[in-house]
Order: sequence, then C-alpha cells, then structure tokens
Amino acid sequence: MRLRTTSRISLRHLRSKPLQTFSAISVIALSTALAVMTLLLARGFQQGLTDAVEPFDIVVSAKGSPYQLVLNTVFLRDAPVGNVRWRDYAGVSDDARIELAVPLAFGDSYRGYPIVGTTPKILRMRKAPSAPPWLDVIEGRWFEGEREAVLGARTASESGLAIGGRFMTSHGMTGAGGEHEEPHEVVGILRSVKGPYDRAIFVSIEDIWAAHEDHAMNIDGGRRGVTSILAHPISYSAAYSFAASYQRDARMQTVFPAQTAIRLFSIIGRGEGFLSAMACVAVCFSLLVATLALYWSGAARRRERALLRILGAAGRSLAAIAWLEGTYSALVGAVIGETLGRAGACAAFGFIGGATAIMPHAPFTPMEAAIPASIFIAGSIGGLAVAAFERWEGDELPLER
Amino acid sequence: MTPAAPAETAMPLLEVRDLAHYYRQPDGSARLALSLNRLSAGRGEALAVVGPSGSGKTTFLHILAALIRPTEGDVAFDGQNLREMGRSGAAWRAASVGYVFQDVNLLPDFGLLENLMIAAEISGLSSGSASERAVSLLGRLGLADKTRNRPCRLSLGERQRAAVARAVLHSPPMVLADEPTASLDADNSRTVMSLLLELCVESQSLLIVATHDESVKKKLPRLVALEKPENTWHRGTPQ
Ligand SMILES: Nc1ncnc2c1ncn2[C@@H]1O[C@H](COP(=O)(O)OP(=O)(O)OP(=O)(O)O)[C@@H](O)[C@H]1O
Ligand SMILES: [Mg+2]
Repeated sequence: MRLRTTSRISLRHLRSKPLQTFSAISVIALSTALAVMTLLLARGFQQGLTDAVEPFDIVVSAKGSPYQLVLNTVFLRDAPVGNVRWRDYAGVSDDARIELAVPLAFGDSYRGYPIVGTTPKILRMRKAPSAPPWLDVIEGRWFEGEREAVLGARTASESGLAIGGRFMTSHGMTGAGGEHEEPHEVVGILRSVKGPYDRAIFVSIEDIWAAHEDHAMNIDGGRRGVTSILAHPISYSAAYSFAASYQRDARMQTVFPAQTAIRLFSIIGRGEGFLSAMACVAVCFSLLVATLALYWSGAARRRERALLRILGAAGRSLAAIAWLEGTYSALVGAVIGETLGRAGACAAFGFIGGATAIMPHAPFTPMEAAIPASIFIAGSIGGLAVAAFERWEGDELPLER
Repeated sequence: MTPAAPAETAMPLLEVRDLAHYYRQPDGSARLALSLNRLSAGRGEALAVVGPSGSGKTTFLHILAALIRPTEGDVAFDGQNLREMGRSGAAWRAASVGYVFQDVNLLPDFGLLENLMIAAEISGLSSGSASERAVSLLGRLGLADKTRNRPCRLSLGERQRAAVARAVLHSPPMVLADEPTASLDADNSRTVMSLLLELCVESQSLLIVATHDESVKKKLPRLVALEKPENTWHRGTPQ
C-alpha cells in the first residue's frame, strides 16, 4: 500500500474511535504537561533567584545580619541594616580593587514600592562585562535634578504612576511612618530587569538626605548616610582580597550575595532539588504512560487491521498503520502537553512573581524540548510494539467469526 | 467454454490432497473439523461446496485462501504449495484470491467505494481503472446510490453484495464465496450468482461457492460434498 493510503487508514481509525483516541491523547498530553511543568518550575525558580542576585557582586554595609542585608538590598524586602558614612563609600569607590561602586540608600516607600536613593553611577552596572547595562530607561529620562524619580517596570505598570505624575513618599516600608513634605515627579521608566528591582522607585540619594535631615540618615553628626554599597571588583582575586580587608572591620561588613542567597534559600534550594527529582520521575512516568496508552489504543484497533490482513495487505503496511496511529496520537499529545505545561508553569511563575520579589522565568531550551520529543518517541514505540506484536503472532490470523 | 490448453490439463489450477484440519479445543485436545481426500479444479470452473452446518465449508475456504494452514495434507495452487508460502501468503492472496466472507468483513470505517478502492490498492490495481470498475460493479449490484455509505449504514444483503463486488474487482484467478447469498432475496440472489458466474467466465477464474442454497447449487456445474466429521481426535491427542 502507498504511504498515503496507510496514513489515511490510520487517521480514519483514530477518528472512528473518538473516545479512545481522545483518552489516549489526553493521557499523553497531561503526562507531558506534568513533566514539562515540573521541569520548568524547578529551572525557573533557580533562574529567578540567579537573575535577582546576578547584578550584585559584593555588597558593603554596616555590620549586621548578612541575611537581612541581602533581603533588603537584593530582594528589596525587610528593613535596612544601619547606615555607613559617605566617606566609607568614597573609600570603597577609590579602592584599586574595585572597578565600580554604587551607593544605595533605603528606608522610604510609596505605597509599598521601595524608594532607592542612588547616583547615576548605577547606570554603569552590568550583569557581565559583555552584557548591556543592567538598568535601561525606555521611556523619559534618568533623574537629573531634585525630586525627580525613575520607576521600575512593575512599579510603572502597577502603581498607576506615569511620567509627569507626582507622588509623596513616606517614611518606612509600610506607609505608616508619615509622609514627607515635598512630592517627587516621575521623569522616566525602566525596562524590566526581571527581578525585585522592577518594583523600585529610583531617586537621587541627595533627595533622601534632604528628606531625612533631622534623623535616620544622620550618622556621627554627618548628614550623608549610605545604606549599602554595591561594589564590582576588577577580578575574582581582587574580590576576595577586598572582602578579607574588611574581615576585622568593627563597623562594616562585606557580603557576597550569591553565596548568602543560596544559604538564605537553602530550603528552597533543597526544594529545587526535590522538584528536579520530581521532574525526572514525572518524565519516566509519562514515558511509560504514553507507551502503554498508545499500545492499548493500538491494540484495540486490531480487528480493523486484521480485516486488511485477510484481504492480503502486506505485513509492513499493517505495521505502518499501527505505527502511524501511535505516532499521530503521540505527536498531538506531546504538542498539547508542551503547550499546557508551559502555560501552567507561566501561570505559576506569575503567581510566584506576584507573591514574592523573585521573578522566576524559564526560557525555552533543548532540554525542555527533549520531554515532548521523548514522549513522542515513546508513543511511536507504543505503536511499533503493537505492530511488532501482531507480526510476531504471525500467520495465525485473528479471523473474527 | 474455451477448450483448455494441454499444459493446463496436465496441471490443474487447484489440487487438494488428503486434507484434514483439526481445531484445538478449550481442553487442549484437537478435534477434526474438515477432511477431504482429493479435489482438482481448473480455470473457468465453478464448484459448489455443500454440507451441513459445521461440516467445515468455511474452514475449507480459509485453507484455500491460505488464511489458515491445514493440519494435514497439501493444497497446490498453480503448482505452488500453499503450505510453503509463509509470509508471502498475503501478497499471493492479494493478487490471486477474491474472497466473499460469510460474515462479510467490510472495513467498518470506510464507505463502500473506499472499501473497494483499498482492496484494489492491496491487489495492486491502478486506481484509475479500479475506480471505474468499482463504480460499475456497485451499479450492477444495485448499490449505485450507496457508494459513500459506511457498512453500518447498510442492510446485511447490501453489505453482502458489496463484498461480492470487492472480491471480483481485480479479476482474480480464484474467487471464493462463503454463503454469498445467505442474506439475499431470490432476485438479488440470482443477480449475485449470475454476476459471479459471468465474471468467472470473463476472466477465466475458478469459482468456489460454499452454500446451503438449493437454487445456487443448481447453477453450479460441480458439487463437492463435505460431511460433518464424527468426533475424531487428532492422533496422539485423544481426549
Ligand atoms: N477457530 C475455530 N476454533 C475451533 N473450532 C472451530 C473454529 N472454526 C470452526 N470451528 C469448528 O469447526 C467446525 C467446522 O466449522 P466451519 O465454520 O468450517 O463450518 P461450516 O461448514 O462453514 O458451517 P456453516 O455452514 O454453519 O457456516 C465446526 O464444528 C466449528 O465449531
Ligand atoms: Mg461457514
């Protein structure tokens, strides 16, 4: 028989038993979706964590809990640790081992969106030497004068603020601390950084100093305090030597956020390992289910193929029909499953991103494609098993009486 | 009828010798279902296979179509022993046999014309000539307006006629028909039988019809009578 005819026959067989075909395809689709989703969740969470931490090589701050420092400076949660002096910042900035140092001042907020006081030097930060700048103004401009603000991508889309809009910042993170007197004006909006800083509002560090003239920011009588210093070392060895030089400092500490975050999220880290193991189990389970589902749905159409056989159809045509039936179902199931799994993972990411500061995401990779591909192969093996089994049964024809 | 060539007289198209077929019973023993000592038949001949229900008519036709291998004895078709055919049996059947099954056996998911066209393709007929012939055969059997119907939407008699059309579509050298008129009224029964006989003369096919029908028996010049075997057990496996 020609391939066109065998293909037509197998499609007709699939169509004529819609319930059977539907259930085989849905079993394959669901198990593919399960495997894809588990894998994406595991990877996406890891990716979200990495993305959030990546721009920060070393953070220098006043002595305190490194966890609180990372939560505050990297994830924009929790209260800031104490301040250091501008002079300390200048010391870091002038250090030969440090290529770039950026001062940050925290403590104020607008409706829960944290205000980040900084200088334009932050625009020079990159995740990697070859990467584009971490922050990128896509609308308006960077702040220049007093009381100008630049919004992170999520702040811009969620807070209702737009360019030209004015708002009053308040003291503390909850808004309960009382409002500052003078409004800020929005002058720019940033491209999404896929991390906690999408929820930030950037202002000049001098505005923070001005607003806090009377309290918090004033250290040792000086009025120019800095909450944390983001430092980018010139090399790995410079980073360690730099950190070592602060080891015995009584007032200041250096933290490598990547390490601290891993420790901080060690529970989640274990969770990620668990998810990976789950993904493995899900994939194996899906492969088995796909093979079985297609074997059974193929076996159920045995009579139709037996009729062709008694007409004299060649064994290889019948094998092709059985195989194509499995292959078509597996293909449709795998494609639907991949789509469902990805949609499910994206929904979960949206939920996690909304509930936490981490923005998990999982770009498409060959690894992910391997799941539907192997399900597809398993499915067509199911079809092949039917074909092989019928061939092995040999010449004793199942003549229906 | 055209006189047979000398070569054909020397070697008949079909030659059956010492045939016996046993079926395995649920208890593991084997029971005789068919025994036939000798039969030979040539091209263009028409035979009736008669005998009471259970005498092995269907079994005999299945053996002739190489659908089952006889327990004992040999069947030679055109000098070729069916027993030795193995996997090539399907190809031989597709080319050489037209079979009207007792239980019709049309493909349930395809319309009548599609059923015929798939059978034609299996037999290696080109689709152009096959579709013309299929349409004309269905017309002759009174199925012109049912070519697109699936078997489940046809009466048993209509299905039986379609099965006849499918069996003779490729003008095979041997046509086996198992009770082809069982579900037909007298008129349709006549139509089917005269069509079968006509086509067999036309393409010099050997026609073998298993039947209970007296009127059918009368139309066929030769009779092969099968007897319902006594409870005979296979050698070495009594009980
Ligand atoms: N696959 C089988 N397994 C076991 N026994 C079988 C099988 N097929 C047929 N038989 C038995 O073999 C005997 C002959 O069967 P067969 O179908 O050849 O009879 P038949 O002459 O065609 O009968 P009918 O006129 O009713 O169609 C019967 O007793 C039947 O029960
Ligand atoms: Mg019978």
